[in-house]
Amino acid sequence: MSEPVVLDRPDVLTDLGQETLRRLIRVWFDFERRLARVPIIRRLDLGQFNLQDYQNLLLNLRPQVVEGARWIARGASSFDRDYADVRSVIIGHAKDEHRDYEVLEADYVTSGGDLQTLQTQPRNPGSEALHCFLMYRAGQPNPVDLLGAMWIIEGLGEKMANDWAKRMEELIDGSKAFTRFLRYHGDNDDSHMDKLYGLVDRVCTDEGAADRIVRTAKVVARLYAMQLEEIEHA
Amino acid sequence: MSVYITSTGAFLPGPPVGNDEMEEILGLVNGKKSRLKRRILKANGIVTRHYAIDKDHNTLYSASDMAVKAAERCLEQSTLSSSQVKMLSCATTQGDMVIPGFGSMVQAGLGIPEVELHTTHGVCTCSSMAIKAAYNNIRVGDQPNALVVVSELASRLFKNTHYEAAGGAAAVNFDAEFLRWMLSDGAGSLLLEDQPRGQCLRIDWIRSYSHADAYPVCMGIGATTDPNDTRTWQDFPTYGEAEANGALLIRQDIRLLETIVKIGVDGTLKLIEDGLLDTDKLDHLLCHYSSHHFKSRIYELLDMAGARVDEEKWYSNLYTRGNTGAASILIMLDEFLSTDRAKPGDTIICMVPESGRFNVAYIHLTVVEEGNE
Repeated sequence: MSEPVVLDRPDVLTDLGQETLRRLIRVWFDFERRLARVPIIRRLDLGQFNLQDYQNLLLNLRPQVVEGARWIARGASSFDRDYADVRSVIIGHAKDEHRDYEVLEADYVTSGGDLQTLQTQPRNPGSEALHCFLMYRAGQPNPVDLLGAMWIIEGLGEKMANDWAKRMEELIDGSKAFTRFLRYHGDNDDSHMDKLYGLVDRVCTDEGAADRIVRTAKVVARLYAMQLEEIEHA
Repeated sequence: MSVYITSTGAFLPGPPVGNDEMEEILGLVNGKKSRLKRRILKANGIVTRHYAIDKDHNTLYSASDMAVKAAERCLEQSTLSSSQVKMLSCATTQGDMVIPGFGSMVQAGLGIPEVELHTTHGVCTCSSMAIKAAYNNIRVGDQPNALVVVSELASRLFKNTHYEAAGGAAAVNFDAEFLRWMLSDGAGSLLLEDQPRGQCLRIDWIRSYSHADAYPVCMGIGATTDPNDTRTWQDFPTYGEAEANGALLIRQDIRLLETIVKIGVDGTLKLIEDGLLDTDKLDHLLCHYSSHHFKSRIYELLDMAGARVDEEKWYSNLYTRGNTGAASILIMLDEFLSTDRAKPGDTIICMVPESGRFNVAYIHLTVVEEGNE
């Protein structure tokens, strides 16, 4: 069995790995701007976000969070023996998060929401598109482009979740009692991101793989923003 | 046609003002010392700056007075007299008069007849766009030269009396007080010509990327503190009511401010992808970061993206000249050239991120010698 990849952020990247990381950073900045235009996030930025917004956010996030563990687990199973080291990292990640929707459910109930309503909320059109795309990509042989998907989804946790949670607490009632899901990701996703950096060189083996990683990051960014846009219409 | 910066000039009013002297000039709000000052100054790293007002709040130099002085210094070191200037391109965040345009006041002060006049208005990047208008005007052959003049007089906004009129201590939260310890006064000027003179700077390109479509206002004057109140200052029955509602205070939305780092780095990476910029070949980076805190953030992100610009290539005079908004990059370039760091063949990039509603501008220059280009 191969050794697991080094989990620290690498000091040296190959030229292709470095170029891919630069492209991913730009995809991330574009994603942040796209998020800033989404109505519910704009309300948060402007200080107009309320409890109803928060509950709607959780209501619309849950289906994707529940499915999140599935696409990661499916992705792990699609890596063959040549990628056993990558598979180890992905399995570890799937294990970390496969029941985090339970925290989200508890937050929703603590904020005054009804569990039955939450659990029967169907996927909104953005969540549906995101779910289908991720499950499809995760089923491909050696789906290294899932790194692009994780770049966006883990990046949200690492870079946004704590800021969002803090702002939501300020605007709602100053309590941290119902932002535990966001806080969990804000506190833990930086270690997940370190694992991602460790994978960049490993999976950027040729231009084709690099292009697929960047493309998947762009698609996931677009669909994630769509999932949040659709909250207005849910 | 190539365009060259053949002379520069700067004017900073009065003696340098140390951190301990600032509040004596700007005034104590409701007679009380600021509790945020030290923290904000520690983050921005500024040690001295200049003010065009005195402690009695007399304006010693207007924004157009400072512009005229910077322009005169620029022209003194050139082969042109003011009457030979064919285009005057001016910029400011806030001139002395609301109307007419700032350029008209500067033209009158300099006494330039029949000049082609241009004024840009915005925040820090409006000076880059004033330079670009001048550059393009020469490039298409309409004019052989253009004088760019940029002036900022922020200190007038920071008088204690303005905060008191807006409600005193209740009005002075972090967002309202932040810029009081950041911005100061000064003016800068550049002469652009269609031919090189001595050792000068060729303008290679100027680009800017604005993101106002994505983000809310981060720094501004004119809105109230209530996010649900859409009125701006002229919507009030009287200007007195606008002031009482805080609509005339300059405010920075601190929560959004970090975005400035991201747009600055994103623009740099875009220039690399577009083949305009090679950070490995760059000799000097003049970055108008408003706060020392942002320098390290920009450095780290560029490094992570594989576009590191080594520490010794960075130049800024923020720490001693203060943050003079749109004028900063001209004042910085003027002082940079006086240090003799620039050698023929060197490339320079000026980078100006702006937090108003998020814009970033870049000016790429090459040091050339007349007859030897």
